[in-house]
Amino acid sequence: MNDAGKRTSVTPEWVDIAANQSRLSFGLAVTELADRDDSIVAVAADTLDLIGLRTLMERHPERLIDVGIAEQNAMGVASGLATTGMHPYLCGYAPFITARSMEQLRNDVDYANQRVVIGAACSGISLAVSGGTHHAVEDIALMRSLPNMTVIVVADAHQGYHATLATRDHDGPVYIRLGGRAIETPATPVDADYEIGRADVLREGRDVTVIACGCMVPEAVSAAETLEEQGLDVRVINMHTIKPLDRDAVLAAAAETGGIVTAEEHHLTGGLGGAVAELLAEEYPTRMRFVGMPAEYAIVGPTDKVRDRYGMSARHVVAACRSLAG
Amino acid sequence: MPGMSNREAVLQRLRSEARDIRRNSWRALRAAGAGHVGGALSAAELLAALYFHYLRIRPDEPDWPDRDRFVLSKGHGNAALAAVLAQAGFFEESRLDEFYAYESLLGMHPDIKCEGVEMSTGGLGHGLSVGVGMALGARLQKKDFRTVVMIGDGELQEGSNWEAAMAAAHMSLSNLTAIVDYNKVQQSGHVRDRMALEPLADKWRAFGWAVREIDGHDVGEIVDVLDALPLEQDKPSFVIAHTVKGKGASFAEDTYLWHNNAVTDEVYAQALAELEAQA
Repeated sequence: MNDAGKRTSVTPEWVDIAANQSRLSFGLAVTELADRDDSIVAVAADTLDLIGLRTLMERHPERLIDVGIAEQNAMGVASGLATTGMHPYLCGYAPFITARSMEQLRNDVDYANQRVVIGAACSGISLAVSGGTHHAVEDIALMRSLPNMTVIVVADAHQGYHATLATRDHDGPVYIRLGGRAIETPATPVDADYEIGRADVLREGRDVTVIACGCMVPEAVSAAETLEEQGLDVRVINMHTIKPLDRDAVLAAAAETGGIVTAEEHHLTGGLGGAVAELLAEEYPTRMRFVGMPAEYAIVGPTDKVRDRYGMSARHVVAACRSLAG
Repeated sequence: MPGMSNREAVLQRLRSEARDIRRNSWRALRAAGAGHVGGALSAAELLAALYFHYLRIRPDEPDWPDRDRFVLSKGHGNAALAAVLAQAGFFEESRLDEFYAYESLLGMHPDIKCEGVEMSTGGLGHGLSVGVGMALGARLQKKDFRTVVMIGDGELQEGSNWEAAMAAAHMSLSNLTAIVDYNKVQQSGHVRDRMALEPLADKWRAFGWAVREIDGHDVGEIVDVLDALPLEQDKPSFVIAHTVKGKGASFAEDTYLWHNNAVTDEVYAQALAELEAQA
């Protein structure tokens, strides 16, 4: 148990249940919301333990709707529930709940602008051993292209919990990108405030800025510490909301530091890097480097090793920052 | 009318509304210049019976929380839905002249922003899942509103319908009814030739639904089946309504050529003349 266990101000069961896995902290938050509010309903696609919904099922069995392994139906059911005034939290695997049910997601949820929160577990290549069928490295691009969708990528279990709670009062559809089955490195305090659309500056710096999301946030912090030893002062921003992007944070970084590196566990096309580049190209052309997954399907292996092979480790962030500073 | 039973008065009204749905569908389609004729005309009696006999709705309060829900999953039939919504009073019939028009809420497919439309549809195989969610919403909130989804026959080739079918039966959603407008024709030809559905009733029974087959142009049979809902306790209901694609326009009946076609003034005049002769 890491030091988060000593700070259980959020809830006594927090660490045991969430176990530093954002997919479980999402389920924990949904369960708490369901305790407080009768309109909260979880929609699962055979994902009870993936998302940590057993407690909710025990406490509110009628509000745990499991449609089985049927993501298209899950998405439509969530939309239909939302039209009646319920607030569904749809719990699925990132690769399947996006690509498999993309038309339902676009039409029934986003086009019809229904208040559905999608918790997408095992994003990126977090399930590296599972192979390419179980990787989601295009989901940010897909979600970001939907006009009504809010897109959140949480950095760790703490943030998964707070971000999920924050969606309770949010209008319109939300996509929350969650981690896989491995323990995640905490990058944010257990009780940190969370505001949708407001980036967190984790570390101030003047030379270069790293804008990271998801599992690349702790890698970016680690890279910044390494670079500090090398005399480079690196700002680190946790861009937990990809859409709407925190324009002020990006533009300030562009104006105040010498270049921007984006870091994400996603294809280099269409994700966080694309969002930042689109903004800067118009508003403040800035030298950039992109850390992320190249246009390939990943090999099988331990997640850390596979991430490193494809350029998604602290050392790659270090190299990208140095290439801008040099 | 003296001597007419209450039932016969109801049925006469529904026949009249169905004729108006056809006339108003043609009106909208002529305004658009083209559109999905066949699947609008096949659904006229079904829509008339739903909106003027079965559904508990308040056209002057479209968002009334306890209203029954109707989802036109075969969204390309929107000319007929627009017609019946106008006739029911959700908006002025003159709006039908704005079909496909710039900034109109009446396009080729239903838009949830339009008064009376419960879900934006058009991509096929979506409506039944949404209907399952609506029926669950009623159950969870202890409301007695009912949900009806109209599906096209060709649409049943989409696999997502069968995911929803399995779920609705598993959840014993007796407050959910699906009606298939079984007009036997899809965009490229007859359903039986493109991708056959039979034995359709057996398939839905096997999935756990209560099934009944009716003549989808006989308002008496439609009223009887609607009045019998749910067809069985603790099961969702599936109504197979046998219909004729393009019903009421001789040139458009039972042919894929009028699934979606241009509607000229000449076509419109002939269609209206035929409707007049049938009245």
